[in-house]
Amino acid sequence: MEYGKNKREKLMKSIIKKEFVFILFALALFSGCKKLYDLPEEKDYLSNNVNFDNKVLEPIIGRNNLIGGFNGDNSTQPITFEIINARFGDGKPVTDIFQKVPTYVWTAPYTGFETSLAEIEAKRKIEEHQLFEMRSSGQFILWASSTNQLIKPRPIDSTNFSQDTRFFDVKVKNTGGERLIKDFQIRPWRERPYEPADDVNLYTGGPAPDPNNPLDKRFKNYIRPYMGNVIGVASNIDLNDKGKNQKENNLVVYIRPFSGGNGHTLRIKALNKDSVEINPAFFNETVWDKMIHGFNMQKTDKYVQYDVAYPIPLVEVPTFYAKGGSRAKAELSYSRGAFGGGRTVANFGVDFAIYKAGDWEIVFHFRKENPKFASE
Amino acid sequence: MRRNILFYALLIVCIICGTSAYSQDKFIIVNGTVVDKESKQGVPGVSVILEQTNKGLTQTNGKGQFSVNVPIGGTLLFKFLGFTTQRVKITGATNINVTISEDRTALDEVIIVAYQKRSKETTTGSSVLIQAKDVQDIPVSNVEQLLQGKVPGLNIQNNTGAPGFRGSVQVRGLSSLSISGSGNESFLQPTSPLYIIDGVPLDADKAAEFGFQTQGPGVSPLSLIPQEDIENIQILKDAQATSMYGSRGAYGVIIITTKRGNSKIPRIRYVTNAFVNAPPKLRETLGGNSERQLKIQQIILNAQNVNDIRAISNTPFLADSLNAYWNNSTDWQSVFYQTTYNQSHNLALDGGDPKFNYKANVGYYTEKGVIKNTGYDRYNLNMNMEFKPNEKFRFFGFINGSVGKQNKGNGVGLLQSGVAANGQASTLLPPPSFYQASGGVLSALQTLNDNNSRNLRTNVEARYEVIPGLAVSSTVSYDYTSDTESTFTPAAANGQFAKVYDYVGRNYQLYNRNGITYAKTFGEKHNLFINTFNEIYKQGAQAGITRQERTPNDQLQGPVGYDAYNSRGGGVLGNYRNATIASFAGSLSYDYDKKYVAEFSYRLDGTSSSGLENPYSKNPSVGLRWNFNKENWLVDMKWLSYGSLRLTWGQNIVPTGNLQSIYGIYNLNGNFNNNPTIGINYDLVPNPNLKPTTTSQYNLGFDLGLFNERISLNFDTYYKKVDNLLFDRFLSNSTGFNKLASNDLGIANYGTELMITVRPVVSKDLDISFSVNGAINRDVLLKLPAEYNGQYIRFDTSPYLQHNVYRVGRNTLSNYLRINQGVYKNDTDVPTDPVTGRRYQANGQFFLGGDPIMKDVNGDYILDGRDYEVTGNSQPLVTGGLSTNIRYKNWGLNLYATYTADRTILNNALADRIGIMRDPFSLTSVVPLNDLDIWRAPGDVAKYPYPYDYKRFDQIQPLRADQTLWQESGTYLKLSNVTLSYMFDKKFIKRFGLNQLRIYASTNNLITFSKYSGPNPENVTTLGRDISTGYPVPRTYNIGLNLELNTGN
Repeated sequence: MEYGKNKREKLMKSIIKKEFVFILFALALFSGCKKLYDLPEEKDYLSNNVNFDNKVLEPIIGRNNLIGGFNGDNSTQPITFEIINARFGDGKPVTDIFQKVPTYVWTAPYTGFETSLAEIEAKRKIEEHQLFEMRSSGQFILWASSTNQLIKPRPIDSTNFSQDTRFFDVKVKNTGGERLIKDFQIRPWRERPYEPADDVNLYTGGPAPDPNNPLDKRFKNYIRPYMGNVIGVASNIDLNDKGKNQKENNLVVYIRPFSGGNGHTLRIKALNKDSVEINPAFFNETVWDKMIHGFNMQKTDKYVQYDVAYPIPLVEVPTFYAKGGSRAKAELSYSRGAFGGGRTVANFGVDFAIYKAGDWEIVFHFRKENPKFASE
Repeated sequence: MRRNILFYALLIVCIICGTSAYSQDKFIIVNGTVVDKESKQGVPGVSVILEQTNKGLTQTNGKGQFSVNVPIGGTLLFKFLGFTTQRVKITGATNINVTISEDRTALDEVIIVAYQKRSKETTTGSSVLIQAKDVQDIPVSNVEQLLQGKVPGLNIQNNTGAPGFRGSVQVRGLSSLSISGSGNESFLQPTSPLYIIDGVPLDADKAAEFGFQTQGPGVSPLSLIPQEDIENIQILKDAQATSMYGSRGAYGVIIITTKRGNSKIPRIRYVTNAFVNAPPKLRETLGGNSERQLKIQQIILNAQNVNDIRAISNTPFLADSLNAYWNNSTDWQSVFYQTTYNQSHNLALDGGDPKFNYKANVGYYTEKGVIKNTGYDRYNLNMNMEFKPNEKFRFFGFINGSVGKQNKGNGVGLLQSGVAANGQASTLLPPPSFYQASGGVLSALQTLNDNNSRNLRTNVEARYEVIPGLAVSSTVSYDYTSDTESTFTPAAANGQFAKVYDYVGRNYQLYNRNGITYAKTFGEKHNLFINTFNEIYKQGAQAGITRQERTPNDQLQGPVGYDAYNSRGGGVLGNYRNATIASFAGSLSYDYDKKYVAEFSYRLDGTSSSGLENPYSKNPSVGLRWNFNKENWLVDMKWLSYGSLRLTWGQNIVPTGNLQSIYGIYNLNGNFNNNPTIGINYDLVPNPNLKPTTTSQYNLGFDLGLFNERISLNFDTYYKKVDNLLFDRFLSNSTGFNKLASNDLGIANYGTELMITVRPVVSKDLDISFSVNGAINRDVLLKLPAEYNGQYIRFDTSPYLQHNVYRVGRNTLSNYLRINQGVYKNDTDVPTDPVTGRRYQANGQFFLGGDPIMKDVNGDYILDGRDYEVTGNSQPLVTGGLSTNIRYKNWGLNLYATYTADRTILNNALADRIGIMRDPFSLTSVVPLNDLDIWRAPGDVAKYPYPYDYKRFDQIQPLRADQTLWQESGTYLKLSNVTLSYMFDKKFIKRFGLNQLRIYASTNNLITFSKYSGPNPENVTTLGRDISTGYPVPRTYNIGLNLELNTGN
């Protein structure tokens, strides 16, 4: 009897111990277990208001176009963007903009202090990319490797018919959900390999009409340089007196390819009214070696030529060669004896950009009257 | 000592002789003394009861002596409230000494639940009792400070050193998400527990309705309670314990009981403290020529062109170093900060017995702030009396009068922006003197600021037991506070025009409670207790300000009012209140042999500030308790002193809206047909369906006492859901209204609290006890209005741009900041956009070596407003405390430490400090940055960016406040209080007419151990921002004296 009681007690004790352990364990579990309380899981936030500032994209073929405008309304990054359902307005599928082509991407910042072409080339490399793509920021990219041949630009008759317009939708997604933003349009401008492109019709690529006689096909528009104190030989007055060069197109600029270069040259020359090269030596105040970020300058009596890396400017950042960042500068200047024994300085030039690699020349053409180099 | 030996010898003799003398029924006269174990003094008023007859024989006299006629073999019981009952068997000895000690039995504790004293054993809620001695030896303006770290789950952050102000108090995590203000002054609406002082509720948040921009004195009602007058403090944490307090108990309840008279002969006790408040280590500053050299060097090294260098010559304080005006080395901080010497005195008179007792307490406390021209004085006169002629009738009344005088200088109390700005002045400037001083200095030091908070709190309470077990009681109390503030700014401090500001406010609360209680025991083991009562509050508050911008001269300080053009203010401030709350509450408590306990309660609150559709809020609760140590199979286990399991659920409902959100705002909109028209304000659409905030809480508790309570353990785990929090929803503009006050916000807190107390040594000469407690609390945002889709960002409109984000499923108060990933070692480390070829940039400036690496979250290589991420948690995850109490003979040593872990602090003070370098041409001081890991030269791997590049500073903003660089862990362990005390031998002091004399030395905020780079990880706002305009928390050293006069003969 006594024995049995002890045994029972012992059994009880062990049960109790087990119970204690269990209770303690359960308590510890309780406190740590989030699931028990049926709490909501944290999700990425995807706003109901995600949108884009602009759904009609008008990139220019042949340049790196970065088009922003995504408004995530503080949605949680990373957000993935997917272009889907690309089609023309009449339902034809769009594939051309998704071709993969090699294109330059920057790996290090261009500063303008590079001392050789190799140093510049070391800062960029060639990668395969879709011609048109989106990156994680929601920005659209049309790479510079695009050409009029790869992507058909907008119609030359400046119409915007639905069947000529590429449409697509964008799927915006993070772990919090997804949103479909519909009916983006791409209306690419045809290639414009250089700027200013005043002499080119943006739709057709042909000559631009003369703003003075827009309907007269005999006239065309020119790129006009800025100029100061350039005195005409014949008239003996400033060739741009009261802005008359705007009307008379006496001094104009051609940015045009030439043949015979090594594929990455830039040549600067000036022509007189007989279309004969003026010896660069006449432009005695020109700082040839610091004008263009080019190397291996060759100065002949007809032109000055540099080996350069395209595009010019390479990157739209302010450098010594491109003060504002987006345009390089070709400026010729000269001085001559002035009235009273002093010297007077004249200059003319153009802020330009060239996007397509090749052998390009910038030609200043005095079409009607030559500048006066002689002293007074 | 000799007497003790005698005592033991006697005891042994008694025991030996006891058996033989048992049968004789002879009466003898026994004399003796009852001595308190701790104080070694006679305890007056101890009831001496003969156990056999259960008849009270006598009570001890003023010296604790007694003389009784008892039969040999009988047993005497020595009973005294709050002490353990001693039993002594009478064996023939005629002189016995009895030592009684304070009752520490956790389960026999008497706690107050729903205004009724109950045995803790039969209550189901989670509560903690703090004894007076834990909060007495450190002089503080607000006794709440000393509760820090003593109660698990009660998170107190003493985050301001401003005397008379309160820190933040939260019971079991966040209960509100309402933030007002912006930037550094973002202010989380406090959700302080309900304080009940001797049965009368008190609103501790009263002075906090204006956030940091305190209007009026800002004296917390708690700062008006003298700590010497406190008997004990009880903290109720779970909803079962608090639901009977209704809506106001939703954030926990803290019950403060003041001392009662308890001495046959009158006792006069005097406590005084003399304490020194020392400002913390201030910002190091380079003085005089070092400042000039550093600034010039900074300009030369970071100039971008020659004009920048030339600017030195045009800046007189840099160039003209020999000019006496610029040739100084002034320590501006010492102009504003000081070490102060303070004192407190408290005189208490009490007397009486359980039938009639009285107490009067006079207190004076003065504390000068460590910022000059600030301080807090308190004057108290508290009296109470209790009359209990018999068991049937009890009458209790008190009257407490207090005056709190506060001086805020030219700051607003919690913030001292003026001092912070002027303390940063260039050291090259001459110090303030009789002849000259800057307006800022004068403003800080000579603004006359007089704040008074005068409070009168009265209460009468009567209880009558109609038939045994059935009692009715009634309480009426009236609480009136008058607040005034008058500030006079002398002309020299305010652009040659004196300025006057006056605030007058008053508020009152009339409170009545009538209750019926019924206690009955059926069949010996079934105990029933019913408690019902109703409560009526009538509350009112009104305050107004007047401000006169330009008064004629410094001599005329008021009354003023001569010029309407320069008069500002007037009208009634937004804290106007006229409210009535009526409540009915009932609870039923049943226990079977104190083993199984079940409690049910229900409370109905009717307020005018709930929506028309929900005028009554209902607060139900259920609680179960199992005292398993009383089970038969455990009752023999000697090692188990007590053990119980508790499970409770309860709801507290708080009205959140105001009349405007329910009924709308109506304005006078001009005249139509010569009649004034009234139209609705289109900002807020009325919402009659507004629901009150509902806090429901589950609590599972576990109490265990082992080995004669040498080890006691207290465990609670809870889940608290706060639903229907007020949140503005912005409406579609087609509705015509701007926003709707809605209830679609919910948060949950869940956590665990643990408290372990170990008493390894309990003996006559040496007691050691060690206690550790801790609480883990996690808060999660449960829901937001549907249109927010799970996230709401509260954008900061201040230049700090430190946004708060509420995201469902995440901890509630997260920061929304830019992610700092280090510092660019070299220019080449800055990433380049592959498409554009541009470097990563901000505001058009490219990042370079030495600039911070800020995560480009969206990948567009531009740092802008889209590059923010959710990060951090401004609320602490773990809080708790440690305490050690050692008594060796007459010496006592108490150590209290508190800790807080896993919390994010934004070190804005450091950002501001390094940011001083942003403009070398400004007349501000410079700080040595040698102690910081700063990028100095290309290739440096550093934590902090290069701060000296002043030309690019505004674009890059390397030290912008809205980056995670300033996010630091706010984990700290603070050894706050150390008290060393000595109790003089009673015999010795008796010669000097003293009954008790105790001296002690104590400290407050002694050392904080933390990895935090700022001065004090605790001295941050409730949103975890260390602001340089805050009031530093001083370190206090104190010497105190505790004496009791011998008024007996």
